[in-house]
Amino acid sequence: MGFHIVKRDQCSLIRKCFLYVGAVAAALVMGGIVLLCLGVDPIAYYTRMFTMGTIGNRIAYKVFENYLKDFVPLALTAVALSLAFKMRFWNIGGEGQFILGAIAAAFVAFKLGPILPNAVALLCMCLCAMLAAGLYGVFAAALKVRFGTSETLMTLMLNYVALYFLTFIAEAKADWNFFLDPSSVRPVFASFAKIVSFPSILTIGKFSLNICVVFTLVIGVLMFIYQKYTKHGYEIAVVGDSAGTAHYAGMKVNTIVLRTVFLSACLIGLAAAFKVGTSGILSVSITNDVGWTGIIVAWLSQLNTAVIFIVSALICVLHYGSTVAAATFSQVDSSFANMLQGAILFMVLAADFYTRFQIVIDKKGGRSNG
Amino acid sequence: MDKLAILTTFIHNIVVFNIPLLYGTVGEIVVEKSGSLNLGVEGIMAVGAIFGYIIGCYANSLGVGIAVAFLAGAMCGLLFAALTVSLQANQNITGLTLTTFGLGIYFFVGNGLKARGWPVMADYSNIKNGFADIAIPGLSEIPLLGRGLFTHNILVYLGVAIAVAMWWYLNHSVPGLKLRAVGENPGSADSVGINVKRFKYLHICLGCGIMGIGGYYMGLNMSGSFNSSCWINGYGWIAVALVIFANWNPALAILGTFVFGFFNTLRVSGSSLASAFPGALGWLVKIPTQVYQALPFIITAIVLFASSVKNKQNSGQPGALGLNYFREER
Repeated sequence: MGFHIVKRDQCSLIRKCFLYVGAVAAALVMGGIVLLCLGVDPIAYYTRMFTMGTIGNRIAYKVFENYLKDFVPLALTAVALSLAFKMRFWNIGGEGQFILGAIAAAFVAFKLGPILPNAVALLCMCLCAMLAAGLYGVFAAALKVRFGTSETLMTLMLNYVALYFLTFIAEAKADWNFFLDPSSVRPVFASFAKIVSFPSILTIGKFSLNICVVFTLVIGVLMFIYQKYTKHGYEIAVVGDSAGTAHYAGMKVNTIVLRTVFLSACLIGLAAAFKVGTSGILSVSITNDVGWTGIIVAWLSQLNTAVIFIVSALICVLHYGSTVAAATFSQVDSSFANMLQGAILFMVLAADFYTRFQIVIDKKGGRSNG
Repeated sequence: MDKLAILTTFIHNIVVFNIPLLYGTVGEIVVEKSGSLNLGVEGIMAVGAIFGYIIGCYANSLGVGIAVAFLAGAMCGLLFAALTVSLQANQNITGLTLTTFGLGIYFFVGNGLKARGWPVMADYSNIKNGFADIAIPGLSEIPLLGRGLFTHNILVYLGVAIAVAMWWYLNHSVPGLKLRAVGENPGSADSVGINVKRFKYLHICLGCGIMGIGGYYMGLNMSGSFNSSCWINGYGWIAVALVIFANWNPALAILGTFVFGFFNTLRVSGSSLASAFPGALGWLVKIPTQVYQALPFIITAIVLFASSVKNKQNSGQPGALGLNYFREER
């Protein structure tokens, strides 16, 4: 019996939801089987993981605050990447752009932080981080537009150039290097948390909400509107579908690509400024892999801004929760989260196929016209 | 130490520490020639490394280790092929996820086993002796270069042999020609009766298997000591870069491995070179190590840029690289 595959015209929302939820469930079941093999009760483990150990925990508010610190950069980066991805511009350079943004923000914090009022200094940090990251991103885009250089590979290379620049700053003990703590003999990053940092705006009991969370949500809404209801957003969608069509319709494709990539990288820089501005210190692992995870999140969310926020919240639970659970279940390493995250995306990618294509089984002897 | 010995050690180290790059690069070239851009090299090497090392140790056989590393890598390739070739998933995303997934497996298995008793390489005589240096008679007598280039463990020779074999296979054999056709224009290849799917599946698995052996090598080279940083340590990404530098040619990849390895090794032993030749190479000490680490990527970025500027006639980049092939969309 033969079969062949044809494109599906449309896929109902219910069917989509069913497929995706099924895919995630299947990945969780597979993870559960691995847990069972290790002699761990999967339900107990998953409960601990998804609640991040907050139940019956007196310092649950602290857990949630730290969780939000991971969530903000990831969600913002994923939103930013989705902009470029929608245009089929493969910005793999989130890591590098994030790093440059973080360095720029820290630079401003050290140089301008002591002389300017807190709010102005923070604004300068954000703007400089956005500019640094944006220019780094637009560099690859310019090469792509002008010479057809593969942006996937170029941004990938630029990630490592940025990373080693950061490690250079981290390890170069010298008089000019104001990023490091002068009182320490070994090279250690200096903290500027006391000079300038993002304030909390709201306190519920012991829990305090950082202003960055609010900003991130607002930017998310703005980006949603930008993509859905503005001319720019429409242009991005058309270029993504077919650059030829866009050109034919009189759109300046190159300008659109450059503009959108700049905006995308700017937002990643902003995410970096938020991260650095709340932690008050640089670190070699400042990105926390958001450049990579952001790609996965953006794709899992089908590049939909609203869904990105939900998915990044869940992925953060996965990562944060697995660290918490690893403390209770010593047999299960915290790298379980990476495995599970990979498995979930693999299953979703597979499920995605059934939303775009359908398998038609040929009738008996039906290969005659196929 | 006399100056000649330092130079010899330097050349020796270039080879010993960087052959995994050759495995990764040749593997990735085979995959990319089929038209698939696999960004999962880092993860695939890690998976090959961990399973190859553990099972190889338990079997106390280097051959079993190599075979298992190859198979583990090929299994990752199968996953990649199933998702991108059959299920039409995006290659960039699938590859990146494979990296996350592979590193997850690496640490999950590694840390899990470490808690119960990690196999120490020195306890397994066959592995330890199998990985010892073998001098090639005659060639290894050459002063300076003899010990530097021709006294190495068996996996170094295997890596070079695979690179040469793949060069021949891609450029001078009929299946190789067909494979290049698939990577260049799958639609045309299909129309002349080449089974595009089968070619893609086979070569993705083959390439990923080769990467797996490269990962195994890294594990052995670290004497199998497992700690918080991964054995692969970014070599997979350098391999992706090296493919571009080598212009998708496995023979050039050998040269590229030397060039990239040269900078890698300068980072580690630049200071000993500087102290041996204070007059000529004393300035080496002043260069920050991060410059050496970043150089492979900077060079690749320049090569990538240069090859896109000049005419594309000579570029070995497959025409359909990164694009999925869906038969009914011709």
